[in-house]
Amino acid sequence: MAHALSQRVTTADGTLAILSEVELAVKAGETLAITGASGSGKSTLLGLLAGLDQPSAGEIFLLGQRLNDLDEDARARLRAGRIGFVFQSFQLLPALTALENILLPLELTGRADARERAAHWLDRVGLAARASPTPRQLSGGEQQRVAIARAFATDPEIVFADEPTGNLDADTGARIIELLFELNASARTTLVLVTHDDALAARCQRRLHLVAGRTAEAASA
Amino acid sequence: MSFSRLGLWLLRRERSSGEWRVLLLALIIGVGSVSTTGFLGDRIKRAMSEQGASFLGADLLVTSPRPIESWPDHTLRTSSALEFASMVSRGDAFQLATLRAVDAAYPLRGSVRIADRPFETGTPRPAQPPPGAIYVDQELLALLNAQVGETVQIGEATFRIAGVVAEEPGQLGGVFGFAPRVFLRTDEIGQTHVLQPGSRLTYLYQFAGEPDSLSVFSGALKPVLDSTQRVIGSREGVETLRGAFANADRYIQLTALISLLLSVAAIAIAAHHHALRHYDQAALLRCFGATTAQLRTLYAVQLLTLGLLGSALGVAIGALMQQALVGLILPDAATRLPSLGLAPVGVAVVSGLLALAGASLPALMRLIRVPPLRVLRRDLPPLPVAAWISAVASGAVLLLLIAWYAGDAKLVGIFVGALVALVGVLILLARLALVAGRGVQKISYGPLRFGLAQLLRHRFDSTLQLGAFTLALFLVALLALVRSDLIDGWRQQLPPQSPNYFLVNIAPHQQQPVAAYLSQHRLQASALYPMVRGRLTSKNGQPIAETLPPDARDSNTLRRELNLTWTATLPPNNTVLAGRWHGERRAPAPVKGMPKVGNPLSAKADAELTPPVGTPLLRSDPSAEISVESGMAERLHLAVGDTLGFQVGDQTLAARITSIRSVKWDSMQPNFFVIFAPGQLDALPASSIASVYVPPDAAGVLPGFIKTFPGITVLALDKLIANIEAVFAQIIRAIQLLLGFLLAAGMAVVVATLLASLDARQQEAVLLRTLGAQRAYLAKGLWSEFIALGVLAGLLASVCAEIAMALIADRLFDLPVRLHPWLWLALPAAGALLVGMSGWLTTRHITRVPPMQSIRALN
Repeated sequence: MAHALSQRVTTADGTLAILSEVELAVKAGETLAITGASGSGKSTLLGLLAGLDQPSAGEIFLLGQRLNDLDEDARARLRAGRIGFVFQSFQLLPALTALENILLPLELTGRADARERAAHWLDRVGLAARASPTPRQLSGGEQQRVAIARAFATDPEIVFADEPTGNLDADTGARIIELLFELNASARTTLVLVTHDDALAARCQRRLHLVAGRTAEAASA
Repeated sequence: MSFSRLGLWLLRRERSSGEWRVLLLALIIGVGSVSTTGFLGDRIKRAMSEQGASFLGADLLVTSPRPIESWPDHTLRTSSALEFASMVSRGDAFQLATLRAVDAAYPLRGSVRIADRPFETGTPRPAQPPPGAIYVDQELLALLNAQVGETVQIGEATFRIAGVVAEEPGQLGGVFGFAPRVFLRTDEIGQTHVLQPGSRLTYLYQFAGEPDSLSVFSGALKPVLDSTQRVIGSREGVETLRGAFANADRYIQLTALISLLLSVAAIAIAAHHHALRHYDQAALLRCFGATTAQLRTLYAVQLLTLGLLGSALGVAIGALMQQALVGLILPDAATRLPSLGLAPVGVAVVSGLLALAGASLPALMRLIRVPPLRVLRRDLPPLPVAAWISAVASGAVLLLLIAWYAGDAKLVGIFVGALVALVGVLILLARLALVAGRGVQKISYGPLRFGLAQLLRHRFDSTLQLGAFTLALFLVALLALVRSDLIDGWRQQLPPQSPNYFLVNIAPHQQQPVAAYLSQHRLQASALYPMVRGRLTSKNGQPIAETLPPDARDSNTLRRELNLTWTATLPPNNTVLAGRWHGERRAPAPVKGMPKVGNPLSAKADAELTPPVGTPLLRSDPSAEISVESGMAERLHLAVGDTLGFQVGDQTLAARITSIRSVKWDSMQPNFFVIFAPGQLDALPASSIASVYVPPDAAGVLPGFIKTFPGITVLALDKLIANIEAVFAQIIRAIQLLLGFLLAAGMAVVVATLLASLDARQQEAVLLRTLGAQRAYLAKGLWSEFIALGVLAGLLASVCAEIAMALIADRLFDLPVRLHPWLWLALPAAGALLVGMSGWLTTRHITRVPPMQSIRALN
């Protein structure tokens, strides 16, 4: 939940308001699309909601915790194993294989069955036969599948996705959307995604549209 | 999984990355360099310690230039020996040797091993040979082309060689001795008639017994000895030697430290680049919930692992290299040195880890401060770490490292100062060279123009690479020049027909026959200089030491007996600087002079040249006049008008300084610190010294001379110079082996900086290839860039080496300054080859990968 959320940055030209007075509440299991033009503050809002940054003003509650009270490390501990991420540029580690990339967050949370779970999730995204290639040897679509498997592998309560189809062609993008929502539905995860793809936004239960850092409209699907 | 395990896991997956490899390589080079010298120094030092009392051959040793007749009461076991230099000849072959005449008790501690044949380990035996026999070391056998069982001539006596000295107390290897060892019986010295009044002798009195008795005896002894006589306890003896060795060792270690510091530069660059490439990884891990402390653990474990691995490999290389060094420096001692010790391993590993920590701390500090938001906004830099914190942290670690190696604050200051100055000069020169490169680039075309443009574009990298490689080439060149230049240069500047032999220990009754012999063989000899040995004791009635500031009291001039001569004629190569010469000013005879006490030649020469102490009647004549050499006057704060007191035998003598002279010590002619006016010392039974020039075609005269005058020592300056040259070359070869590490470290810097710019280069190459540039064009461009870099480094190193050599030759050795054209070809060629190879091997794949593949990889 976000209340009166504002984010300002100070540049050489003065203070720039990226987000102003944003109000937002997301229920557990809900899917929310944050949309808007480039520079409207979508990714900034996502980052704040996920606890990756601190707001200039306003409050954020994540998983029942008031993020404003937590420092960087406490917020990191809050995220561990409970939050998943999918990024536009995939963010896979180039030295690790597909399987190992999924394994990474599992290992961080110290799960005993990490390897089995990683293999299971690789299978869930249809890449059981592609465990050993490194990201360089995978296509864009395959890389995003691995990233999605990585996001869901820890059984997170919330998955944040930043333009998950932004780097993919239309067909691949559509298949990735299918996969994302299918997994989300079966895992009953809360999904917050940033996109300027209307088709993708339409799949979400709610949409938050930002214009110049302000909430322009909220629609329910 | 714990973060330390995760760190190891990620490290294993990234082990083939360029940065890790460079980091590891640089560390191996640095640690290899310090452990090589560490191992060697440790083995030699332990050899000294482990020998303990056997090092001296006794628990207590007293050395004296004169016999000591009375001793404090004691119940200790004793032995005495007499050491002196003399000629040993066999047929036409002759050699100067160090003779040690020993009694049956020698040595009291430790053992002498005598072998029947050269190169055998031999068996422990008394050092006193059977009657009529001597033991010699294997070097002498080779020099005289003799074998065990054959006979040699010493003075007027003939001795049979009964065995080879394989080992004696206090000896690690025979390399540093100039005159081979001979053991003979004390009771047979007389037969040789080599001891003339004036022969330089060292009496060695050994004592062994219970510690209590020893300390009582030692306490009673010290007050009765003068400053030329020394008491050395076994512990003290070892410590003295070890101290002397430690000083030399320290400078060698500092050479190794330069390699380590150059490696630090390579490590710092690689670590910085590693951090740049891992900001995304760190941000991702933060997203996944990693805290700052966990990231710190992860990256610290990675670095520590690399540090330990690199150190272990470096130590292994060091162990191999030190064995090679032992072979070069102490070939005889290789089997006698103790095995490798563990202490240097610890020192090398800690040095490596400290270097690694110091070099990679700033990069690591930034890496763990990456904001997690970077996963969404790639342009976000890590949170700034206060520059001063990382600079201070790194600086403190490196300073600690330097301090550890340099030992005392003064040396740390000198080292850091010199390093900062050198780095400053190198950066300035590198920048100037790059400016010049811009001029060349403007008039060049094709791949060369492209390559030079690259060099100029990466100006910071190029400066760093140039600096590091110039430093390495410069030091290598400097050593090579020192070796070839100084000795050659000195030799060449001697006028032709300079004396090449000294005739020493000429007894008064031999003066006429010697002169007749020389003139009969048309040999040009100098005047004869009588010599008497005496010790400087007082100035203006006060003990000399008390007149000096504390730091000047330790002067060697006060601890030894001086060679005193007298003449009314100012010798050539001498110029009066102050006062008035006490006699005529015209130089006598064709050539004269004696090597300086304390210069490389004279240390030996002096040992042979000093005449004996007789028992003359000396008068203290207040009107006695002396002339003092200017260097000695300066060291001992002497001026014209001062009255100096001398102890000659058991007599004292006072004389007033009436002139101060400068002396050209390297003239290869007899020279003296103190010259008396005739009349004061004449009553002493002195032997004389003369120098003579023997042309190469007349060298056959010498064996005849030695047979005719067996007691006269013939000192071949050529041989002495050759000996010095050989030892010098040996040491320099060993140091050059260490400089191999320096060159490797220089190459590591080049590779590290290239790796850091590899992505940008690849992007550029992709663009150029997409635009139609052929692979060959790119390859030629790269080669042009690296060869230009190597040539520039070579030229800069040549400039530095020429300047350094000019300063050394002019200021330290008073030699004419000359240029070395070959250097200007060799160094740029070596630079081009080494930089070209390392540069090409690092970057060649960017010309080979198809553009499409590169684009994908970069994305």
